[in-house]
Amino acid sequence: MRSLAVLALAGCLVMSCAPDRAAPRKGSLLDLLPKGEAAGWARDGAPEEYEGEALYIYINGGAEIYHEYGFRRVVLQDYESPPGGSVSLEIFEMGTPEAAYGMFTFKRSGKGRTVPLGNGSELESYYLNFWKGRHLVTLTGFDEEPATAEGLLAIGKAVEARIRDSGAEPGLVKALPAQGLKPGSVKYLRGLLGLNSFYPFPTARGLLFDQGVGGAYESGETLIILEYGSAGKSEAARDGLSGFLSGSDKFAEEDVESAGIRAFRDAKGRAVCLAGSGTRLLVAVGPERADCLDLIGRAR
Amino acid sequence: MARKIGRREFFKTGAQAGLTLALGRKLAAAPIGRPATGVDAAATGVAVGTGADFGKAAVKAVDLLGGMGRFVKKGARVALLPNVQSRHPGTYTKPEVLRAVIKLCRDAGAADIDCLSWLTVKHWEDAGLKAVIDEEQAGLKLFEKDEALFKAVAVPGAKALPEARILTAFYEYDAFINMPVTKDHAGNKFTGTLKNLMGLNSPVNNRTFHRPNWKTDPDDVAHLEQCIVDLNKAVKPDLNVVDATEFIITNGPFGPGELLKPRKVVAGTDRVAVDAYCAGLWGLVAAEIVQIRLGAEQGLGEIDLKKAGVKEAAA
Repeated sequence: MRSLAVLALAGCLVMSCAPDRAAPRKGSLLDLLPKGEAAGWARDGAPEEYEGEALYIYINGGAEIYHEYGFRRVVLQDYESPPGGSVSLEIFEMGTPEAAYGMFTFKRSGKGRTVPLGNGSELESYYLNFWKGRHLVTLTGFDEEPATAEGLLAIGKAVEARIRDSGAEPGLVKALPAQGLKPGSVKYLRGLLGLNSFYPFPTARGLLFDQGVGGAYESGETLIILEYGSAGKSEAARDGLSGFLSGSDKFAEEDVESAGIRAFRDAKGRAVCLAGSGTRLLVAVGPERADCLDLIGRAR
Repeated sequence: MARKIGRREFFKTGAQAGLTLALGRKLAAAPIGRPATGVDAAATGVAVGTGADFGKAAVKAVDLLGGMGRFVKKGARVALLPNVQSRHPGTYTKPEVLRAVIKLCRDAGAADIDCLSWLTVKHWEDAGLKAVIDEEQAGLKLFEKDEALFKAVAVPGAKALPEARILTAFYEYDAFINMPVTKDHAGNKFTGTLKNLMGLNSPVNNRTFHRPNWKTDPDDVAHLEQCIVDLNKAVKPDLNVVDATEFIITNGPFGPGELLKPRKVVAGTDRVAVDAYCAGLWGLVAAEIVQIRLGAEQGLGEIDLKKAGVKEAAA
């Protein structure tokens, strides 16, 4: 049985690696799989489970981002409907609700619509993501028919009812100025892979943050807020990053009159402005430096 | 032991030493390694077939290159490498594209046509590719992730990967057609012909592409990109046929993600040029994709599409 083999291998791999979080594991993810609550949809085949580093078996070549956020384990189950519909269900257990929220923000495109599921959701043309507590749930249909979308919602609701814990968006998200912010663009960050989805910094200097958040604005700017836990670390991060950019031939430093702000122009002609703010480093990227500085001013 | 289901073969080692030894003897009689250069890239450029019938689009793209006969000779054994990483829409090579390529190879006189993979049969079933392989009476050769089934191949001009470990059975073939789907990738931003060759390299060797602290040092992301380029110095496809019909542009490479549907199949021998074209389909600048830029700088191909030449036609 493939499932048994996978579980055995997963066990071996997990024994050889320390989990990133020490939160206790309660219950089996199998308990979260709907068994008939989603009318018209029945299980198709056996579930599969992967834990820790064994995620690389399931997501070969794409598991890194899950681990960056703090992946614990995942269960997979297919569902089918009599007319021939098919839906794939993945329930990811992350280390914390913040990690589940972060992975949710990474996976959503921001172009779908919110549905009343979990602590946050996005339904797109053929798939649905929602998060609740430490769990990120992804349902994928294999066509864009209305019946399939209904199946995504029906199975999603059944899973949601089985998840007992709940969570809230990390407080750092509120640090993004609300005016002009595209809500679907907000991403909660835990490392460089996520950060690079906003802006491909050619360095790690100054970027080893504790947590971060980024968002795009209607006016064309992107704001990234990185939390370092202390003002000293934040200041060192700003100096480290700006020092690298100053020495890079891909960035040109520009004079600014605002105290504590460093401004650069990247190879694409975009303004990149850095500013410390207590324990945080603010980075604004956009076409016009003045607009970036204004955004930083609003975030400070 | 090898168990056969139809023309699918699943290769193991360890308890299956008999098969391994048999394979080893066959290799011992074969030339040492396939050459790292296949068909001359000159006068080929990038060929693009477009249309709602993805099979016809694939045929059109290959025809624009002069036909499959340029790449597959009569009696040849042909290895195919489609992408079956995930079954989410837009993350795997479309069955219609694979079917078209198999038929083209057969029409060109190929004696054997096999898909090679160290992924599971479920991957192939879920993507709908196994059904195509069975219906077209091609072969599916699946290999366990066992290092004994891979052979060390020195990388000429290596900068980060001195030695690749390629499926040993790969060297039993006369022609190799690389068949990725182009799509987003969280780490590299882009997946195309260059990265798809990791499907021939051993998973253990692939993991060395990631340094232990890759999460915190962009220099190590650059290391990953350089390893991909080095791998491409060790193995050169005779032809690349890229599925750009429908693919994800977010949440790659596994998906699900936002789908783009250009309805194109892109073919060529120049991996850099083909990848540069595909990157442009979704607004990426080829020179900003590190693996494409490094590939061009290190002689794998032409990043300037005006110089490479692009032929497009409706299917």
